[in-house]
Amino acid sequence: MVDASVSQRLVQAIIDNLPKPVPGQRPVHTLGIGVEGKFVASDVARTYCIAEHFNGTPVDASVRFSNGLGGPDRHDGWSDVRGMATRFHLSNGLASDLIGTTLGEFFVRNVDDFFEFSKIAKLAPYKKECWLQKIRDLLQLKFPPRNPYPGETESVDAGALRYADLHRFAQLGVFQVGLIGAPVSYVRAAYHAAHTFWVTAPDGVRRPVRFSWQPVAGVCNTDPKKAPRDDYLREELRERLQRWPARFMLMMMIGEAGDALDDCTKPWPGTRTRIAMGTLTLTKVADNQEEAGERISFNPNRLAPGIDPSEDPILKARLGAYEVSREMRGGCPFKWRPDNAK
Amino acid sequence: MPSEGGLLDRFVDWLPTTLFFKRAASWILVPYWAHKTPVKPLPGGPHPSFEHGDNVQCMMNLIMPLKVKSPIGRAEAALAIAQNKDAIYAGLNNVGTVHFARFVIVGDNICMFSVYDGDFTNYIRDFIATIGSVFNAVVALVEDGEDVTPCEKNVDAFIQWIHERDLYQVPDTATDFLRDQEALNGDTAMSGNHDDLTLLPRKLVLQLRANPNVSLGNGYRAYPGFSAAQVRERLELGW
Repeated sequence: MVDASVSQRLVQAIIDNLPKPVPGQRPVHTLGIGVEGKFVASDVARTYCIAEHFNGTPVDASVRFSNGLGGPDRHDGWSDVRGMATRFHLSNGLASDLIGTTLGEFFVRNVDDFFEFSKIAKLAPYKKECWLQKIRDLLQLKFPPRNPYPGETESVDAGALRYADLHRFAQLGVFQVGLIGAPVSYVRAAYHAAHTFWVTAPDGVRRPVRFSWQPVAGVCNTDPKKAPRDDYLREELRERLQRWPARFMLMMMIGEAGDALDDCTKPWPGTRTRIAMGTLTLTKVADNQEEAGERISFNPNRLAPGIDPSEDPILKARLGAYEVSREMRGGCPFKWRPDNAK
Repeated sequence: MPSEGGLLDRFVDWLPTTLFFKRAASWILVPYWAHKTPVKPLPGGPHPSFEHGDNVQCMMNLIMPLKVKSPIGRAEAALAIAQNKDAIYAGLNNVGTVHFARFVIVGDNICMFSVYDGDFTNYIRDFIATIGSVFNAVVALVEDGEDVTPCEKNVDAFIQWIHERDLYQVPDTATDFLRDQEALNGDTAMSGNHDDLTLLPRKLVLQLRANPNVSLGNGYRAYPGFSAAQVRERLELGW
């Protein structure tokens, strides 16, 4: 486990880079909405993983969708990473979490990279590029920087780009963030857990895997040419779920020797075996949003027996960092699984 | 995001979407930057890999320009395929590592698109052994084809000729074609570089100038990781 002081510094580095830190709330993915649902594993899931929620019995699930930005201001229509944190409720009050975002690959490989990124990708004033500079960019066949959104005065974009120019491993993640867009609905985006996990099959075979949620309704973003709306995702989700449930398929990709098992900046090829592990059906927005959207605390390392974290340094760092963040905001205590109880 | 600036700002934001700009850029800017910052053509076919998943269901996208660029040339190609249908199907069955294969005429090109298991060189070698006569009939209609036929007597040259006409497969992830460009130039450092990611559009444009025909991504697979032999065996289709 990453040293507690390092976890503190990680969270502090994030807070220090926020335009408006909000004590008592999540430093990033601050604004979210809690949703209730059920997960049913596919017929084949149990042959790959012995975890309880893959045995075929339907389990209750709590999901928190979120905007990636930190701070109190809601900007649903801005191009931004979205989060989908899922809790599978297991027997005896235990749980297994799966945290995904719309970003397929992360932009740092370990804690040291993250601290360097935090130094370079500082929040800085963000202004529209003047027309003359845009002409110069076009003549060089370059991307002119995007125009700021209404009310956007600061951004980390320029710093993130500087970091990516120095480190090729960061380029995919940073580039994808730049083009990620805004979904028309939280349930019309694909979410990727990014890290590698190890799953154990009933015959004892352990496989490295990566999980993704694929929306049954399909992926759809807003039109980037239109002015963004600041507040629509919560209401859209409420209205949608009042009419009809929303579904996600849980896909599990199986890694092979040579794949990046401990580096979440590297994607796995699309040629890897892909298993449909089950379907999540979301039925309603939770009535108690204070509990289901705010106090609920996820951790990507809270895993049912049968699923284990890889040696990915970022995944390890998230264990402590999520706990520090939870303690700072008074979230629900971390309930560990029985075989390695704290 | 629409611009809220003045007339000039809005004009400059709109300019790159116009046909005028795209044509002017194609005629002036692209040749200029291709001269200033030359880009080499990237090789076709799948990336070399030791992993099992990368060596099953490989894609071949072969584009061969016809000698006679007219309906007559296209009809000759169609006839060559039709006349050899039995030979092609028997050959594919004998090769045994092919999931799908088809010939397509696009413009004045005869194309062969296939999904196969295993090594590219062995795949073509197997074809030469099983349907070399068909290849000879088709390649005779193709530009520069006479240099490598009969293929049975020019095996290595024929394999190289096919490889050169197999499309570059642009990686699925947005920035990985940059890694391909760097690898071709012997630059494999991951850190300490001074890249300019905002130049990605220009690098892509110049790459597509060097490789005018490409496969976009590595292709979707419904059942990745399984060979033709495994599928046939599990479906009890005989093997």
